[in-house]
Formats: sequence, C-alpha cells, structure tokens
Amino acid sequence: MRFVDEFRDAELGRALSGEILAAVEPGRHYKLMEVCGGHTHSIYKYGLDDLLPANVELVHGPGCPVCVIPMGRVDDGIALAHQPGVIFTCFGDMLRIPGSDGSLLDAKAEGADVRMVYSPLDALRIAKANPESQVVFYAIGFETTAPSTALTLRRAKAEGVENFSVMCSHVTIVPPLRALLDSPDLRLDGFIGPGHVSTVVGARPFEFIPREYGKPIVVAGFEPLDVLQAVLMILRQLSEGRCEVENQYKRVVPYEGNLRALEVMSEVFELRPHFEWRGMGFISQSGLKLSEAYAGFDAERRWSVPGVRVADPKACQCGEVLKGVIKPFECRVFGSACTPERPIGTCMVSSEGACAAYYNYGRFARDRELV
Amino acid sequence: MNAPACDSHCITCSDEAVPMTVRRVDGDRGLALCEDAAGARSSVETALVEPVAVGDTLLVHAGTAIAS
Repeated sequence: MRFVDEFRDAELGRALSGEILAAVEPGRHYKLMEVCGGHTHSIYKYGLDDLLPANVELVHGPGCPVCVIPMGRVDDGIALAHQPGVIFTCFGDMLRIPGSDGSLLDAKAEGADVRMVYSPLDALRIAKANPESQVVFYAIGFETTAPSTALTLRRAKAEGVENFSVMCSHVTIVPPLRALLDSPDLRLDGFIGPGHVSTVVGARPFEFIPREYGKPIVVAGFEPLDVLQAVLMILRQLSEGRCEVENQYKRVVPYEGNLRALEVMSEVFELRPHFEWRGMGFISQSGLKLSEAYAGFDAERRWSVPGVRVADPKACQCGEVLKGVIKPFECRVFGSACTPERPIGTCMVSSEGACAAYYNYGRFARDRELV
Repeated sequence: MNAPACDSHCITCSDEAVPMTVRRVDGDRGLALCEDAAGARSSVETALVEPVAVGDTLLVHAGTAIAS
C-alpha cells in the first residue's frame, strides 16, 4: 500500500541502522523518549530496538490516552453507565480498565447497557436510533481524537439530537511533556514526537522543548523507517550541537497543524483548570471539558458523577512506567499478577500501553540493557 | 479485547490512524464512504480535509479524516 510499503523496506532499514551506529559517540549514553504509545508498539512489533546500538536507550512516554485515565474517572464512567435509561458508549479498550470496583465490562455483565463504538459518530447514530434512551459517549484521547468528538458534537447540535451527551476526558499533550521535563526523576537527551497528534496541532507547540529545555524533538511517523530516521535525526542534532524541532513526518504533518481541526476544538472545548493523570497526579490545564456553548451536551452536567479521587493500586507501577522511570518488566506485578487478560494497571490494558507492548512481544527482560 | 483496527492497534490510541481510500462522497452531510487496506468499509467524517474526491487516500482516526 502506498505510504506504507516503502517505509518498511528492510534494506533501507539496515542502511539507517548503520548510519545510526556511525552517529553515536562511543561511551556516551543516549536516552530518548518516544512520547506516543503508537511508537512504542511499532518499536517492539518490528524489533527496532535491536537495530539500535546498545548505548541508545528508548524510554516510553505518557502518550497512551487509555493508560493515563485515573481510576476515579473510570468509576465516574461506571456510575453513569448504571443510570437508568442510559446507553453508555466508549472505545473498546476503555471497557477493560479496572476501576476501584470492577470495569465497564463488569458493569455490562451486571446489566448496564454498555456498548463499544469505533467513533463518536457511531455513538451519535445509536442516540438517533434510540430516542427513548440517553446515550453517553465517554470521550478520551489526545488532540488526534478530540476533533472527532468536537465534530460529532457540532453535528448533534445542528441536528438537535438531545438524548446525546459526552463525558469528556480528552487531554492535551504539551502539559504532561512539560511535567516530565520538570521532573527530577528523568534525564532525557531528546524526544521522538507524536506523529498524529501533530497532524492536528502541528509541530510548532513543541518549540518550547528546545527553547526552554535545550532538548531536540523530531516529530515522526509510525512505520519502521520513520522511527529509525527520527532516531538518526535526533542523534545528528546532538552530535552537531543543534537542538530544534524537526519534522520527519512531513508527508502527513503540516508545521502549523490542521487549522480546521483547531478551530472546531476551540469552539467545542475549553481547558479544565487541572486534570488528574494516572501516576502523574494533577497537571494544570491538561484536560478538556465542553465549552459553555456545548454545556447542554455535557454528561457531567446532566448527571452528577462521584468525582472521587481513587489512589492507584499499591502493586501497580503504571505511573513510573508512564514517566519512563522504570521499564515494564521492572514492575513488581508485570507478567505475573498483571497480564493483558487480567490487567491491574492501564498500561497492560491498551495495546498501545508500554506494558502490553512488552508483554505481547516477549520483552520479559532486556538483556541488551544489562550489557 | 483488542480492537480490530489495522495491525492490531488499539483504536483508542490517540496517535494511531489508518490510511483509507474514498469510495463514495456524500458532500451534503460531510461524510465519505471509505475502504481500508483489508477492504473494510466505513463512513468517515471529512470536514477537516474537504474537498475530497473518489480515489483520495485519507488518514482516518476514530471515524474522522485528519489528513489527506
């Protein structure tokens, strides 16, 4: 398929691997963070870490929207799903995230009408087909997904679909990156920037990373050659003493983003003063809620939700995984008490989660890192 | 329960999108019928990438084309 096959070419991959080897300084350790869960998945699916020199370490960032949802927010969703007359809709992976007393899938088993959808538009269709019910869509995701929710709400408003509402847990990418950069736990040399978030917001919002923190960032695509090329571009910046925002994914990402998407988002959403992230605590101005113009579609205004903060399970170290402080296999419960079939933490639920990627691709320990 | 999106990716991931080809355009409603590499068809919101034409490749995330 066009735009896919040419970025999986083995010969070019080997050549890039050689160039990466030539670009590293022996004796220097490079710690690069891939912000996005999609990159984590690609890295292990294609074994890209094995093509990198041993002194180039990839750490995984907070860019999996399922993984960052805190337990209390899951409980709020379950409380809504149990309201009489409610059809509760969400993406598939949300169903299995453990709340403090079971998951949405458990709520469904107990009789709540919980349905999986592939897009907010599907949820709106369900609302139109069931005018006697209240249909709630649990909206999660970064700026890639938020325009989809925004367009659906604009459509619902235009068509006057009054039995549709949204529980908004959309988040934005820049505040957690800033929180990570401010964290004393982590010393990073550079970032592989999120590709499809940047399709919407552009590469410009990441300029603060080189400007204020002196670190390079390269926005990258998701095919194996994209990731390898991004690593090479970061290493070249480091060896040449540069630090800037570069765009490896120019075939999709305009530097200024998608202006129509940004416009519909600013119409439908406004920033919450603060939002809780799993393992990272409250981060100011990092979450979105519906604007006043769309307040009538806000599920949290139609019903009161518990809104109780619930501490993560003690055994779970998702927070440290999300911040790149530990590798998944270093978590106490990885692969034993916590598996994709019976997850304790969110990182094991979503296939983009770092723990699920490590588990599914057999990375139970990293010999390479011990050398 | 992995979502059946392409390559076993989770559809919820905010940063994953699927290339799809436009098969039919419903300009009045801002929708297009699109087909992915495996031949699965779905209705896609096109407001962010209009105008679209039959045969265009769109990058689709959660039912919305985010780039063309």
